[in-house]
Amino acid sequence: MTELSAGGVPPSTSLSVAVGGRVGVQSWWRTPTARRYLFGYTLLAPAVLYVLLLVGIPFVFSLYLAMSDASVGVPVARFVGLENFKTAVENATFYVALRNTIVFTLGAGIMKGLLGTTLAFLLVQPFRGRKIIRALVVIPFTLPIAVSVLGWKWMFDSQFSVINWALNKAALIGPYGSPDWPVWLGQPWLAFFSVMFVNVWRGFPFSAIVLLAGLTSVPPEIIDAAKVDGTSFLKRFRLVIVPMIAPILFIGSAFDTVFTLSDLSIVYLLTNGGPDGATEILPTLAYNTGIRGGALGRGAAISLFLFPLLLPAMIMLLRTLRRRQY
Amino acid sequence: MATLAPTLGQRAPRTARARSVRRHVFIYLGLVPFMIIAVGPVIWMFITAIKQDADLYLVGAIPFWFNQPPTWKNFDFLFHNTFYGDWIVNTMAISFWVSAITLLTAVPAGYALARLRLPFAENLGIAIFMTYLVPAIILFIPLARVVTELGLQDSWWALVVVYPTFTIPFCTWLLMGFFKTVPFEIEEAAMVDGCGQLGALLRVVLPVSWPGLITAVIFSFTLSMQDFLYSLAFVSISEEKPVPLGVATELIRGDIYFWGSLMAGALLVGVPVAIVYNFFLDRFISGITGAAIK
Amino acid sequence: MSEPRPPRPNLAAGVDRRRFLKVSGGGLASATLLTMLDARQAPAQIKGTTLRMLKWSHYVPAYDVWFDKFAKEWGEKNGVTVRVDHIPHLELPARYAAEFAAGAGHDLIYFVGQILTGHYYRNLIDLSDLADALGKKNGGWLESAKSCALVGGRWYGVPDFFISIPVLYRKDLFASVGMEAPQTWDDLRNAGKQLKAKGHPTGMQFSRCNDSNHNWRALMYCFGVKETDPSGQNITIDSKEMREALRFGKALYDEGMTPEVFSWDDASDNRFLASGVASWIHDAISAYHSTRLTNPKVFEQTFVVPEVSGPGGKWNVGEPNVWAIWKFSKNVPAAKEFIQWIADHQKEAMEASLGYNMPFLKDQYKKPMPYLGKDTKLAALQDQEKITAFFGYPGPMTPPAQEVLTTFIVPDMFTRVARGGDVEETMKWGVGEIRRIYAKHKA
Repeated sequence: MTELSAGGVPPSTSLSVAVGGRVGVQSWWRTPTARRYLFGYTLLAPAVLYVLLLVGIPFVFSLYLAMSDASVGVPVARFVGLENFKTAVENATFYVALRNTIVFTLGAGIMKGLLGTTLAFLLVQPFRGRKIIRALVVIPFTLPIAVSVLGWKWMFDSQFSVINWALNKAALIGPYGSPDWPVWLGQPWLAFFSVMFVNVWRGFPFSAIVLLAGLTSVPPEIIDAAKVDGTSFLKRFRLVIVPMIAPILFIGSAFDTVFTLSDLSIVYLLTNGGPDGATEILPTLAYNTGIRGGALGRGAAISLFLFPLLLPAMIMLLRTLRRRQY
Repeated sequence: MATLAPTLGQRAPRTARARSVRRHVFIYLGLVPFMIIAVGPVIWMFITAIKQDADLYLVGAIPFWFNQPPTWKNFDFLFHNTFYGDWIVNTMAISFWVSAITLLTAVPAGYALARLRLPFAENLGIAIFMTYLVPAIILFIPLARVVTELGLQDSWWALVVVYPTFTIPFCTWLLMGFFKTVPFEIEEAAMVDGCGQLGALLRVVLPVSWPGLITAVIFSFTLSMQDFLYSLAFVSISEEKPVPLGVATELIRGDIYFWGSLMAGALLVGVPVAIVYNFFLDRFISGITGAAIK
Repeated sequence: MSEPRPPRPNLAAGVDRRRFLKVSGGGLASATLLTMLDARQAPAQIKGTTLRMLKWSHYVPAYDVWFDKFAKEWGEKNGVTVRVDHIPHLELPARYAAEFAAGAGHDLIYFVGQILTGHYYRNLIDLSDLADALGKKNGGWLESAKSCALVGGRWYGVPDFFISIPVLYRKDLFASVGMEAPQTWDDLRNAGKQLKAKGHPTGMQFSRCNDSNHNWRALMYCFGVKETDPSGQNITIDSKEMREALRFGKALYDEGMTPEVFSWDDASDNRFLASGVASWIHDAISAYHSTRLTNPKVFEQTFVVPEVSGPGGKWNVGEPNVWAIWKFSKNVPAAKEFIQWIADHQKEAMEASLGYNMPFLKDQYKKPMPYLGKDTKLAALQDQEKITAFFGYPGPMTPPAQEVLTTFIVPDMFTRVARGGDVEETMKWGVGEIRRIYAKHKA
């Protein structure tokens, strides 16, 4: 960390700055502010360079793909501007995928929030076996998603579904072959609910832990003070607890939302968008068009479609967040 | 009425216990649905892992119990007929290096963004986050080129290079919030004592921030385990694969799913991680809380 | 019929070869041919090199075991270090996209499920010399072989084999309603109808998987639907035959199928057969083989019909498997040599795959074919080449045909109609999507 290499300092003039700062050519460079800047940018440089090189440059290439008629075998192709985006929005399937993506992300987000909050309130109470239970509920989050989804695929199996077996034993549904036997991945709404549920299953333990952290951190005096004031529980929650845990809540949900928006594995492995597009989301459409179908340019356009919408939203969110934290 | 009063008096201590029992019952009842949802599938996965294949396909059999004697052969299969041992070693090694790279880059970056009041710091921080928005579905194609130029195609080192692209943004923001909670005064005191700014960071700020660092490591590990596409595209050699890719690509052969071994393979990595999680959970909680509360 | 089963070549021991010749007097001609093949010397230049190949995980796991050993032995014989990697066939395109972008990867690659010859041919080695020689030696290529490997008159791939997807039916159940082996789609519909009432429905995937893409195309082609003209340039799917096929698909579903079909993956119908519920399924014979292991009683009663016919004839939709070599491959000579070698050992390969790997070369259909000739239930598949077509039929497997396949437009059309959608509206939607894709590729 101590060496101030040229690569470590973003502006190219900074090399002389680094040297200058030490031998004292110019007096401004010796001021504490200058030293702080130099120190700060040096610390920032590795992270910035890493993501710039490995995401920034490839991203520019992806943008180029999205604006060209490239295919998997012909990457250097004609520039077509926004043509691919235009093609995407002219396609009925695209709207289905867009709608599903939004409903999927929002719906799963809300469910994760509700389940996570309730669980966090239960886990914040002192009780016997709390540690064990806490360890057990995080397992869904720690299993590798590609494999646990395969487990769900078997649990949703149309014939050997363990869920149906349990429902049948509880006398909620008839035996195999009866008309009320649910085919989890086969009926459009059930299929949509099922893929969303797997996302929730994986994500809600994490929401619970983040919220639990927040709840544990609220000083008891504040809650007591609010109690004395006679505020209702919900009001206390909204006025006292939420503002205190808001930053981590925001950052957690921002990352989770972005992850859910671009996550291919659950839908791809369970239904691949079927039946008849009922679970089609933008990542599956992009993957099947661009990678498996080979139309790279159009695939890139579909997968980047949300980017211009997300960008300002995220910038606004992060700005607010940082302001709050100062 | 006459008899009631003494009874009440007698019961006074027991009422506190009764209240505690009632509270426990209430909490446990509340937890039941969560346990069913979160743990039910995991238990079922475990039972599937120690079932015989034929038992899985018995029509009308009880999925939660054994209709044929349980067996460890699915675990045995993993270690003797696949490269599962290598996959675990690879996953551990990948996680170690990814965590190391993440800490080495995200700690200084988070600190600089949080503490040094740099011009453009906000925009730089946002720019780092934005890289998380770029979808992997397209990004893996140009990244394939990068990985190959580095001579890392078909080696798990490729994933060591690629995974920080999503762990760095996340952990930078996490740690940024965390460093804000360290009081300025201890840092200033250290600097008065003759430490430079760097010395203050290394000797004073980091030691009090270790819950945050653990949090960052846990996240790096978990995020690495969620990847499928990058490992699929960059690593095709069996013994170089990480666990998720190995299990998902080599235990499905055509239309035959090795269900038992699939589940065993997932649980063998998932459960230990959950246990480690729990060890650190209190630290972890103060880690994210640190990030949350100024 | 006296041709002996070719023994596993024992390449090191010349003694064994000689003894073999002596013993198998009757089969002298073929044995001599075999010796000639084995004696074929690989060029010295490949000695000491490395060959990396990427294949899929074959549906008959035993075949992969055989293949890996076969490749290793070839390597040992020729001084080549061989390395075979297998990944699930659905994931091959992602890996190829990455290898192509990187300009490095496997020397010898394999297309299955998604045939990417049309996409990558500019970056693949022209294998015309090899393919022509193989054709000449084996009585010529099947017409259908060309659509997966030939681009602009040049061979950019060498077809290895195709997977045929016949009808598997339960003889005992069919007999219980007084039916013999099914001959037509109407027979299947009728059987489904009667047997569903007895608790034995049938099923073909309506979901988004490989099988649904093939099965519904088989029905379409039997109804006389042509996806494009033979040039593959003009879409001809908008026809009354397609409407008929869609209606028939709905009737099949309504009368005889389980609602599970909307959720099935490629393996679900295997389990459905093995569980003893299914009256018939339309699937590759890997389902037949796996039932042998999981449910011997059902297996005994499971019989195979190559395909049933419809008003437009009898067409089976197969899945081709094609070798190709990247231009950036570091070891083109060894890769070509290996393609030649495996092609020369087609009989053993077919045997090892339990009759699953159907050949693309005409002479290889001489009866009895390996494995199929021995298994009376599978013997009928020995004429499979006469009825095989591939997606895009009668056009070649072009990039647009490929994209129509991977976006599941055809299965989605059948799903819509089966779920009660209007045929005309579905046609409008589906044909519109297909036109959009073809227009994009023309531009």
